Amino acid sequence: MIPVSAGLKTTGNANALELRGVSRMFGALAALSDITLSVRPGERRGVLGSNGAGKTTLFNCITGDFPPSGGIIRFFGEDVTNFQPHERIRRGLRRTYQISALFAGLTVLDNVYLACRGVSRNRYSLLRPGRNDALFAAAEGLIDAVHLTDVRDRLVGELAYGQQRQLEIALALSGAPRFVLFDEPAAGLSPTERADLVTILTSLPAHIGFIIIEHDMDVALRVVESVTMMHNGRIFKEGRPDEIESDPEVQELYLGGGHAHH
Amino acid sequence: MSGFASRHPAWTLVLVVLCAVLLWMIFAVWPPELEQAIGRKRVFLSALLNGITLGSLYFLVASGFTLIFGLMRNVNLAHGSLYLLGGYVGYGFASLSGYWFLGVLAAFVIVALLGIVLQVVVFRWMEGQELRQTLVTIGISIVLADLMLWAFGGDFYQIETPSWLAGPVQLPFVLAMRSNGEAVMLQYPLVRLGIFVAAVVIGVLMWLALNKTRLGMQIRAGVDDRDMLSATGVRVQTVFVAVFAFGAGLAGLAGVVGGTFQSLQPGEDIKILLASLVVVIVGGMGSIPGAAIGALIVGLAEQFGSVYMPTYAVVLTFVIMVAVLAIRPQGLARGR
Amino acid sequence: MAVVESNSAATSAFPRDGNGFGWLQAIHPAGWALIVFLLFLPAFGSNFVLVQIFGWSFILGMIALSLMFLAGYGGMVSLVQMTVAGCAGYMVAILGDSAITQISLKWPWWAAVPIAVLIATIFGTVSGALSVRTEGIYTIMITLAIASAFYYFTLQNYTIFNGFSGFNGISPPHFLGVDWRDPTAFYYLSLFSAALSFVVVLYVSRSPFGLALQGTRDNARRMAALGFNVTAHRIAAYCFASVIAAFAGVLLVWYQGQISPGTAGVGPVVDILVIAVVGGLSRPIGPFVGALVYVLLRTFSIDALQAVGLDGKRFQLVIGLGFLIVLLFSPDGLIGIWQRIRPRLLGPRNAEGGTP
Repeated sequence: MIPVSAGLKTTGNANALELRGVSRMFGALAALSDITLSVRPGERRGVLGSNGAGKTTLFNCITGDFPPSGGIIRFFGEDVTNFQPHERIRRGLRRTYQISALFAGLTVLDNVYLACRGVSRNRYSLLRPGRNDALFAAAEGLIDAVHLTDVRDRLVGELAYGQQRQLEIALALSGAPRFVLFDEPAAGLSPTERADLVTILTSLPAHIGFIIIEHDMDVALRVVESVTMMHNGRIFKEGRPDEIESDPEVQELYLGGGHAHH
Repeated sequence: MSGFASRHPAWTLVLVVLCAVLLWMIFAVWPPELEQAIGRKRVFLSALLNGITLGSLYFLVASGFTLIFGLMRNVNLAHGSLYLLGGYVGYGFASLSGYWFLGVLAAFVIVALLGIVLQVVVFRWMEGQELRQTLVTIGISIVLADLMLWAFGGDFYQIETPSWLAGPVQLPFVLAMRSNGEAVMLQYPLVRLGIFVAAVVIGVLMWLALNKTRLGMQIRAGVDDRDMLSATGVRVQTVFVAVFAFGAGLAGLAGVVGGTFQSLQPGEDIKILLASLVVVIVGGMGSIPGAAIGALIVGLAEQFGSVYMPTYAVVLTFVIMVAVLAIRPQGLARGR
Repeated sequence: MAVVESNSAATSAFPRDGNGFGWLQAIHPAGWALIVFLLFLPAFGSNFVLVQIFGWSFILGMIALSLMFLAGYGGMVSLVQMTVAGCAGYMVAILGDSAITQISLKWPWWAAVPIAVLIATIFGTVSGALSVRTEGIYTIMITLAIASAFYYFTLQNYTIFNGFSGFNGISPPHFLGVDWRDPTAFYYLSLFSAALSFVVVLYVSRSPFGLALQGTRDNARRMAALGFNVTAHRIAAYCFASVIAAFAGVLLVWYQGQISPGTAGVGPVVDILVIAVVGGLSRPIGPFVGALVYVLLRTFSIDALQAVGLDGKRFQLVIGLGFLIVLLFSPDGLIGIWQRIRPRLLGPRNAEGGTP
């Protein structure tokens, strides 16, 4: 129900995502400085750090909302530094947003259908789809995967907050994603919803890698295999979850001597 | 400016050369070959000075327009109607009292009061609904235009230039040399120079107010980030009312100015609104220096166009606007 | 935006169950009554009603529909649609036959009309291209500036556009054995054009193209993050809308028999906006409702105003006040008011279902 990518370009044994020396200035403020990181295909990475560390700016750079002030970004071996967002998405990159970015005036089904349509040919077709349209089936499959089947025909503006967050995930899993950026997917969720989220994330097909930004350490450390810590726009430490958790510097700076719960 | 020079060395060189040529054309006596090619120097100088003074008028109107947008995100398409209303009000007061300056003052105050009413009664309830606000300003302009047509009719009015601004003044620009070696200097209407001076003074005062006073800094902070403005504890609505009132009053004042060296009639509101639109598109929305640059460019383009390419004057202004939209949509004065 | 809302029944792309004619069943009984009324109007309506009321309403409605498509589905309020119509009208006059024989090329209608529509569509598309790269709120300003530039250009250019006087002596052609100047024939021509554009807009709104356009209205950034080239898509939307406005412009110049700069001046340009907003920007029937109200007001306002003791010339004041009242109290226009009172009038059962 989450399609495997077909025919998307990969150069050699390239990393899924590679950043070299990436920086981003806003006027005199250095939001990102000299970011260098690599993520292998299928790897699950967490990017952690306090507010203002530059995590969301990093995501914005990777998706192409703005070009970096310096450095190179490679996606599956291809240099995408100057690509427009839609060009990166069509190569298999996906993203969720911290504040749900949904189409409030359309139904849940239409939202997911658009997501499936966006990466397929004929995305601007003037012809209405027939009842046997494959993308509708794909959309319905995705909706089932995130447990939103009963609200399929409701306007997104009418959904509860937790349901909107689930829809946000569904949009990111549409088409044939190769790599997903999850921006604080657990924000504002109840404990049951959080558990649900962890299930969804851990049961993703192995070939889909992702980076997750999260404040909730419980969720983050349970779904990732490696962690990158950021501070003041720079990478501060990288390592396995258990290493990071027990690192005294990290505890001092970020955890305040223990887990932070929201 | 030095940043601009270092980032765009080629463009800077072009600009410097153009400035040098321009300065020569203004101050030197033209050789006969030049006059044969492009016409007399007086025509050129008149177009140049008229363009600058017209640009001054446009600056007065457009700066209020861009300030209101910059802070309140309100594209006030009734700005032209406020201009015309100010003109009519000023005409009334000036001709009744015999004092031109009273007309200016009355126009500013009355239109500013109208601005306060509009902001408090109408726009305040539409915070954040930019499109709806803009449509409402269109409705207001339709209503105001018809009310003014009803009250003042279709005649055109001209406000009499006050005696202390009347008459020509000699400027230090040489037109030609007489055979006896005496230089013929350019004579130019004082009132137009007065408008230029007034625009510069008001522009400088606005710059000082925005950069050196607390209210000004709050306004600038609000232009950059509205949420931050309310977070600083300032009474946001009061600032909005003050800015809208000032912008409106400025438009009214400009109406008196325009009514003095141009005329007041139905349709002037639309013309000045359209000019303001082009000015802020070219200069960049929300930027006062942008309004100044844009106003200068549009004023000069209009005057030079009407003198040297009369059938296609409009095209020149339009081409400039299209060029800016195509190459640098955010306007000339704004960063990316 | 409070001015633009949407309705799931109208916008969902998901095909209805049943056979291919399910859409026929979806037409509300009131819709059928309207269709019958319009089809048989020439049997009992005078020529004046046919052409000056309904014909003109259909034409203005088409232009306002083109604005509604961009604003309601795309979130782009474009004031250049009337100008596109004016451009098409001018091209018909210049390429075809008119009383200004030194300019008109006298091409036959089947050559002049398609070229006129093409030129006007290109003009509309380029205008769109200029305005889509800036934030949405600037679209009104930029399109207004383009519209006024066109006005001043046609006013001052005499070699092509014949300046202030414009063109007159234009009439609908004679083809398929019918003289389309005949009131009944022209009525059906404009009715057919309006109905066709209405159906096409309704259909396209539920196609992937239209659905994606609504996506860019609701969240352009998200659309880009789903793989859509938002800029190209918006420009394509302008192209589509301009085709409708261009055809309306051809009908307009045939209806008026003449065209001048004032046809697409700032007044008419703003009037189209008023029509679209007052009618309602969320459903394609809105612009036609708004156009009919406008035409009725325009035709009968002199008498109506004098009946309440006002000068008959205060039509613009009425328009402006009506516009403001709608904006302040019912941002979704007359259609919004209808949607609110329909449950009360017809009972809750009949309030469901999609009347376009």
